Amino acid sequence: MSNCTARHTGLTLVFLLTLSASAIAQSAAETIQSTLPKVVKIFGSGGIRGLASYSTGFLVSADGHIATIWSHVLDQDDVAVVLNDGRRYEAKVLAAEPQLDLAILKIKEEGLNLPHFNMAEDAGTAAVGDRVLAFSNMFKVATGDEPVSVLHGVVSAKWDLTARRGRFEVPYQGEVYVVDAITNNSGSGGGVLMSRDGKLLGMIGKELRNAESNTWINYAVPVQELAEPIAQIVETGVYVQREKPDEENPGRYRPLDFGLVMVPDVVFRTPAYVDAVLPNSPAAKAGLAPDDLVLFVNEELMQSVRDLRNTLGYLEAGDTLRLIVQREGRLVTVELPVERKAE
Amino acid sequence: MSRPRRVVVLDICRTTALVAVLLVACLFAVCRPASAQDGASVEDLEERAFKQAAALVGPSVVRIQTVGGLDRVGQLLTGTGPTTGVIVSSDGYIISSSFNFIAMPATILVQFPNEEQPVPAKVVATDHSKMLTLLKVDGREDLVPATAAPKDTIRVGQWAIALGRAFDVAVPSISVGIVSATDRIWGKAIQTDAKVSPVNYGGPLVDVEGRVLGILVPLSPQGTEAAAGVEWYDSGIGFAIPLADIYAALDRLKQGEDLHPGLMGISFKGGGLLGGDPVIDRVRADSPAERAGLKAQDVIARIDDRDIRRQAEVKHALGGKYAGEIVGVTVRRGDETIDANITLVDKLVAYESGFLGILPVREPIEEAHGLQAVGLGGVGVRYIYPDSPAAKAGLLERDRIVKFADKPVTGAAELADLVSRTRPGEKSPLTFRRGEDERTVEVELAAVPNLVPAEMLSATIPPPEKAPEALKTGHHTVELADHMRSYWACVPDQYNPAYRYGLMVFLHPKNDTMEADMLDVWKTVCEQRGMILIAPRAADIVAGWTPNDAEFVKDATDDVLKKYSVDPERIVVHGYADGGEFAFGVAFKHRETYRGVLAASAPVRERPEENHPEFRLQFYLATGDKDPQRQTIQTSANGLRSLKYPVVLSVIPDWDHKYPPLDAIAEMARWADSLDRI
Repeated sequence: MSNCTARHTGLTLVFLLTLSASAIAQSAAETIQSTLPKVVKIFGSGGIRGLASYSTGFLVSADGHIATIWSHVLDQDDVAVVLNDGRRYEAKVLAAEPQLDLAILKIKEEGLNLPHFNMAEDAGTAAVGDRVLAFSNMFKVATGDEPVSVLHGVVSAKWDLTARRGRFEVPYQGEVYVVDAITNNSGSGGGVLMSRDGKLLGMIGKELRNAESNTWINYAVPVQELAEPIAQIVETGVYVQREKPDEENPGRYRPLDFGLVMVPDVVFRTPAYVDAVLPNSPAAKAGLAPDDLVLFVNEELMQSVRDLRNTLGYLEAGDTLRLIVQREGRLVTVELPVERKAE
Repeated sequence: MSRPRRVVVLDICRTTALVAVLLVACLFAVCRPASAQDGASVEDLEERAFKQAAALVGPSVVRIQTVGGLDRVGQLLTGTGPTTGVIVSSDGYIISSSFNFIAMPATILVQFPNEEQPVPAKVVATDHSKMLTLLKVDGREDLVPATAAPKDTIRVGQWAIALGRAFDVAVPSISVGIVSATDRIWGKAIQTDAKVSPVNYGGPLVDVEGRVLGILVPLSPQGTEAAAGVEWYDSGIGFAIPLADIYAALDRLKQGEDLHPGLMGISFKGGGLLGGDPVIDRVRADSPAERAGLKAQDVIARIDDRDIRRQAEVKHALGGKYAGEIVGVTVRRGDETIDANITLVDKLVAYESGFLGILPVREPIEEAHGLQAVGLGGVGVRYIYPDSPAAKAGLLERDRIVKFADKPVTGAAELADLVSRTRPGEKSPLTFRRGEDERTVEVELAAVPNLVPAEMLSATIPPPEKAPEALKTGHHTVELADHMRSYWACVPDQYNPAYRYGLMVFLHPKNDTMEADMLDVWKTVCEQRGMILIAPRAADIVAGWTPNDAEFVKDATDDVLKKYSVDPERIVVHGYADGGEFAFGVAFKHRETYRGVLAASAPVRERPEENHPEFRLQFYLATGDKDPQRQTIQTSANGLRSLKYPVVLSVIPDWDHKYPPLDAIAEMARWADSLDRI
């Protein structure tokens, strides 16, 4: 085994020496060759002080439809689009899909017959650990006829950005690709994430800070989410917005509705300890007791009393409230019915 | 567990063999698509290896969640999100990065892979050197500890895969890079260019065989606090503590013992870690190095089995050592080679002198020698400090101390040395003679007081029987030929060489030598208290002192010591304003000579040196309550006190930046006259 290890490490070294010259270039080279002409640089006319006035987009039709990220770069209706060969066109914002932060531009000039992604054929998926390539106009380093920058990395994780409410201020709900390369920079939004073998995996999102770790996160929205609205806008020129869910529910549930009195919320992260339990309440019937520490509500970790209040607020009549509490070092699971609130 | 693992390892071996074939193919075919062999490209094989490695170690990688705790530590907003840990024993011990717990959470929960419900865990111990925290989950016997990669197999350039469980419980997150360096941060860590951040701190860095190279932690070559190095997250500069090293220290951690960096107590002269020869500049009092007999000027030749040629190598050899560990040190002293086994400690205690509370009788030099010769040595007591240990033990003036700590005392210098090497609070037997009686009492030493007694008579010196020839007394100027510069001196008119005198070296402020003023206020005091006053002149009186002048001041002092009889315990360097600031520098530079610094309206500008029993220093800082410098002088006094120096801080009421008035000078004189206190 140690023999194998030694041999292996030696080989790894050889590898690294030849990596850039040969190994990655093998199949990735073709992907890069074919992808670069489909990725464009977008420049807004103004840009607010301190915010980048440029971003990235990718061609989704031969006529010059471009998918990109919705941002302040598009605040003016007209933007400039520069192709990888340096051709510069004016484009206008056609429509947007706000929940995906997706916008579709159209190059004003007609009859261009541009290279583009065919959403039906080119879309693919990747697993954690798969090697990927990211293409974007990050930091505006590409100018004129320079193609956009290419980064390489692996899919670090597939992760739901909004698995915990309040984690991000993003409209998109669903899984994203988290990448171990620093893909999400100024101007990167709207770029593409590709598999090595040339499948379009997703669109690079805007710069976001992960509130759980206070670090910047590098991610792309999967292409499967984008395909349908892109197709709709390219075809019809408009997007029919889905209905927004009702966010303000006047009948929000509070801990007291279950007979729970929580400890006063004194610090930013007051642990969710039960202070008292009202007699004959659902909480009392379920056996909850003072000094229980509520750790999970319906599988979601409660960092604080504030968390608990927020989470209970999303319950609806007929749901089951499943609590896991810590009591004297042990975890205890209880279930409470969510009854209709009295008017 | 061992069976499937071996199978996979074999698989990887086969993979590598394939890779080898492919590489050769590559080289010959100038890298045409290399998929001929089995349909898999080099990249495919590598990708497969990454995933297999992650899958292999996966069962040992847990998710950690915390509840409660601080939302901010210093400038850093603490994260709330899940973090990662690695199982290190089947019965529930989990190692993680201390960074994950800096918020001091109320509750820690651990979720094992493929288990729905997390279980509570508690902190067992912390490694403050390598920034690791050991957790324990109770009631488990079936866990899979991670396999450590042997340290000698870790090579720069090999693949290194960083894993975390912050994102997804089911599938660990992956970031791929290589080993960028080994033995980083003074031998503590492996460096990698895989992305390391709060989403995988505490997780493993693994090789392609799924063996754990190390545990991911934030580290900084400079900072030592728990969050140091976080600013480098995702930068391509990441660190991991070798798991093999963690296993080596695991038993200590399991027993609940916090581990700290091991300290020895030596320092080197500046001049850079890189170029500097490992010549010991100072050995700290009461440190492991001192107890092992190391001395200044020793050259470190070997630490354990490692030859040492540079200062940096000493840091490398000791960087990963813990307090409590024993290191073998070999030093060269001249032609001698000395071996010592040194037990490292976690904290070096600042040296603090003990205090008995007496002033010794200042006998004429001949008489003192005579008494010693007839066995009547010891130290006569001239004055007893009120409420001091000596007063409490019932000593009286004119008693003679003959033994301290069971050691016979032959003179004041010897007693001072014994007492100063005993710490405040320690008890020692003391034997004294009163008339014909000899008594032994136990004294509990105190700290040297930060006050000057209001009443303290000077020891009178009778006029000499015959005035010494060729020795100038009174006010005069002396030329130092070597420097082509001069100093002025004021020697008591009735100078008697049979007795020892105090010496005060005055450093004037810039633009004013203050010669007349100083003579005016100090001449009488010096006559009374048996002190010689000298005042070197700065090379450029208008511009003031420069660091180079320290040698001249020292030579002027030595010139006096050569000519006159001076008590080495009572040599004070005194300065006013920027002359006072320079006085600190002179005293720290020539600690073998000066015993006191008397600074008027002057703060400490440079970092003070450590207190040391070989070079006892006492300080008197005078300032006015309206002195604009008062705050910084107060801070200086506190800084010196934190190093356990005896410091008197005198704030003169209704006074500003001017040289102190007469009544303040009286106290300054009493202080200077009592530097031989024991």
